Amino acid sequence: MLTVVTVVLAAVVLAVLAVGMGYVLGWANRKFHVAVDPKVEALLGAMPGANCGGCGYVGCSEYAEALARGEAGVTLCAPGGVSTAEQLADIMGIEVDQACPYRAVLHCSAYEHQRLQRREYFGERTCGAANLVGGTQGCAYGCLGFGDCELVCDYDAIEMVDGLCIIDYEKCVGCGACVRACPRNIISMIPFKADRMLVVVCANKDNAREVKEVCEVGCSGCALCARKGPELFSMDGGLPIIDYEAYTPDHPDLEIAREKCPKKTLVFMGKPAEPESF
Amino acid sequence: METLTGLVLIFISAALINNFVLHYFVGVCPFLGVSRKIGTAFGMGCAVTFVISIAALLSWTLTYFILRPGAPLPSWVWAVAGGNPATTVDLSVLSYIVYIFVIASSVQFVEMYVRKFFPALYKSFGVYLPLITTNCAILFACLEIMKHLQDPMRLWGLHEALALAIGGGVGFTIAISLMAGIREDMDICDVPKPLKGAGIALIVAGIMAMAFMGFTGVQNGVETALSSLLR
Repeated sequence: MLTVVTVVLAAVVLAVLAVGMGYVLGWANRKFHVAVDPKVEALLGAMPGANCGGCGYVGCSEYAEALARGEAGVTLCAPGGVSTAEQLADIMGIEVDQACPYRAVLHCSAYEHQRLQRREYFGERTCGAANLVGGTQGCAYGCLGFGDCELVCDYDAIEMVDGLCIIDYEKCVGCGACVRACPRNIISMIPFKADRMLVVVCANKDNAREVKEVCEVGCSGCALCARKGPELFSMDGGLPIIDYEAYTPDHPDLEIAREKCPKKTLVFMGKPAEPESF
Repeated sequence: METLTGLVLIFISAALINNFVLHYFVGVCPFLGVSRKIGTAFGMGCAVTFVISIAALLSWTLTYFILRPGAPLPSWVWAVAGGNPATTVDLSVLSYIVYIFVIASSVQFVEMYVRKFFPALYKSFGVYLPLITTNCAILFACLEIMKHLQDPMRLWGLHEALALAIGGGVGFTIAISLMAGIREDMDICDVPKPLKGAGIALIVAGIMAMAFMGFTGVQNGVETALSSLLR
């Protein structure tokens, strides 16, 4: 008798709870329905879903929303690459103008022995800590060489060689983790319009004398490149900037500027790696 | 006054002395998973506090009226069925399934509601809600409340259940925020390679748990202080 009543009661309680909650949730689902653009869902479906944040948005869904609003381009998804960009463009009904992958480049080329070390550094062996101290390394802009970028790279694409971060473009997928990890902000993402891209491998904006004091290979800011190739090169203080919007792989100014550069701080990076320069 | 002292004691006990994470080791999953930045950790703590309060409210109601031994509803059914009044119907076996069920669906409901009417709030804290639907810290709070609804002579009221739940949530927030602060500083530390990531996080959690053992026995002092204060 007790067993029967208990079992029946248990069944009834669970059934009532299930039906009641189901009803409430179903009602809430319709009542509180938030219309989601079907385009956003389609865009989200075409993405890799890695939520890496390489596009600059928090996760894939936010990028999909920005895309649907027309605020973002279709080429920002680095892990998805060209195929994803084409799919996204298809859904949006637009043409892919230039679906080129973004890859990380380091704006420093000085190995440890080429940079002035004012004194020995005894602190934590991370760039983040060394950057806080400052003053140990002569150049206030260049690579610190403790490999914070190497540590955050999930794709094993960064190796520290003699205190300098070397990126392996066979492995780099352009997630941008190293860009965020670098406390000196000398890694940046550039559109790889060809397998190898010309890069300014120095970040020191000081004048020639100051640069020479702290680094053997730093850019002297002579502005020869900007004079020879004004279409692509412009000067920002003591440092040239390459206009990657106007950049085309076969632009004649590239070779001229590279040859004229007295300090050889204009270097082609990408795959295959160039052993003599990097 | 006695009630108030009791409530404060339950609250302090749940928040510090018997901290859910650092004393009972429940809710360790979000404690380790979402403790990389203080901002997100605090958001997670607030979400847990919120959900735990709702879960306590619902589970206390269900337990008090239906699930506990000698609850009004089963007793009434038993009497109608003509059973022996000396025996009581006990539906406690249903507690786990009912709690999980109620927690999951109420969180789902809250998520829908917040998403519709507070989109900004949803963006900042909605993402945590699905993560904690069946979190064991919340289930633990419900089971703890159930434990205090077994003896018909000393039944917990709703206010006591809520004090436990909110205290537990506050304790979780304290623990996860402390952990996030430590882990933020640890990012620039020279951690031995084999211990990087989860390893050192677990060691830190263990040391924190030992530190929180220092609160053991504090309740006696708190009780004395409170009773002299409120007399």
